[in-house]
Amino acid sequence: MSPHGGDGSAAPPLAPSLSGPEPWHPVTVGVPGPEFEARPPGQYAFDFPDSVCDGWSTDLLTLRFASVRGAKHRYYRQPRQDAARAAVHEATGSIVFAVADGVSSASSSEHGAVESCRAALERMLHLLSGSQGPLDFQDVAHHAAERLRQLAQWRLGGKAPEPAEVARLYATTLVAGVVRPDRTGGSVELCRIGDSGAWMLEPSSGRYHPLFDSKTGSDTVLVSNEVAPLPQVPDRLEGTTARLSPGQVLLVGTDGFGDPLGDGDGHVGSLFARHLAVPPPPLWLAHVLDFSRETFDDDRTLLAVWPRATAEPR
Amino acid sequence: MADTKGVLLPAYVLADESGSMGPYQGELSDGLVSLCEGLRAEPMIAAKLRLAVLGFSDDVQVRLAVADMRTETSLPQVAIRGLTNYGAVFDDLLDRIPSDVQWLRGEGYKVHRPVVFFLSDGQPTDGKGWRRPHAKLIDKSQTPTAPNIIACGIGDAQAATMVEVATRPEFAFVAKPGTDIGQAISEFFHALTASLVASGQALGSASPQLVVNRPEQFTMAIDEVGQ
Repeated sequence: MSPHGGDGSAAPPLAPSLSGPEPWHPVTVGVPGPEFEARPPGQYAFDFPDSVCDGWSTDLLTLRFASVRGAKHRYYRQPRQDAARAAVHEATGSIVFAVADGVSSASSSEHGAVESCRAALERMLHLLSGSQGPLDFQDVAHHAAERLRQLAQWRLGGKAPEPAEVARLYATTLVAGVVRPDRTGGSVELCRIGDSGAWMLEPSSGRYHPLFDSKTGSDTVLVSNEVAPLPQVPDRLEGTTARLSPGQVLLVGTDGFGDPLGDGDGHVGSLFARHLAVPPPPLWLAHVLDFSRETFDDDRTLLAVWPRATAEPR
Repeated sequence: MADTKGVLLPAYVLADESGSMGPYQGELSDGLVSLCEGLRAEPMIAAKLRLAVLGFSDDVQVRLAVADMRTETSLPQVAIRGLTNYGAVFDDLLDRIPSDVQWLRGEGYKVHRPVVFFLSDGQPTDGKGWRRPHAKLIDKSQTPTAPNIIACGIGDAQAATMVEVATRPEFAFVAKPGTDIGQAISEFFHALTASLVASGQALGSASPQLVVNRPEQFTMAIDEVGQ
């Protein structure tokens, strides 16, 4: 593993006369996947760039996220089907966020992922303004599902779509949540639909505490293929709460990150524990997240929240 | 450190080598070659598959052990022989699949539910004897690594039998009446390669689904049974 190339040797400069910082080299973990120049997605996928990142801090919390297109989509000319969004609720200083992973069998899942994030954020901001109690995630999830239904109806020229039609167009997983800051860190509320994940990372020990059950836990014989994504909303939504304390980082990621992470005790876990010890520049997070590792070629999205007391951002 | 090396789909091709397949040995061999070459042409997909080819008649013989097709250089060779003992297939898979999954997990991989592609040109010559090992093989409570089975019948293989062998009605196919058997075998391998490539593309996504393409010149067996 090396963030500066697999063999540790320095790459030649681009031109002898150039001076200044070295270009970033690919990050590889173990055996890298094939190297190739990314191919363009379809001509109407121009609203879904290959990579996006964001980062900012409030007085008490720091946020970073990045979302990068996987090698499989870069090769087979598909757009990035992951999405993430985050916003600050100005009245309370809380950070609301959403991470979505469009289901590849849905024909416009990249739209579904973005729209479900947008709808979830809008609803969480609205609910935070109306009540100080726990977020009603059932309401948030239904709001996101309704957005997908409306989108499908518009797409079908006004015809009311069956749930299966909505799913065929826009099915997506979703993790949505809020961090409410306080003097000792923050309180976290999360919900999820589908198999994206969330962890509490302690960079000093390198330990990742999963906040949801894993589909690929070391105790499961086979990886589960059973995912019930939006627009389905289960009667009992999977939700959880946690404390975000100084020295910890809240992570929310799609399975493009969660699968290679596994239990977090391998090289991928070590890589991110090191690079997330303090908030990295957003572009650097995207670069590290775009690491190359054989067979892990899905889109990857990772969102992280630090309490400001932990460390100042770089 | 324990890293997940990848998430793999073990795929098993069960090729009927009974005597009645004799005239079509060439198509069977060519189909296997095209399957191997098709996967080698898609290294990103092949990296996530492990392919085994098993020939069956009176017993099961390994023609290709669970292999990474990016690096496998040998081509599976079939040998025409004996009868059409379905029971031997399912008895063999009852031992083989859990053992292979355990081995792959021991190598540091996570494993998707295995998939079996079953091709036969005849009715089982072991009567109803195959039903007990088959039932045990596909029962997830008895066999946690129970595979998905896609069954394709050609020649004398009947639609109702293929529906029984397959784990879902839409996974059972029979060649259309009057179809040239050699051509049907070629189409089987063409669809098999396409199914594996499409399934490989869906692996590691939010909804890793098994994609099963109907071979040209085949119909869904359940439609035949219903007529």
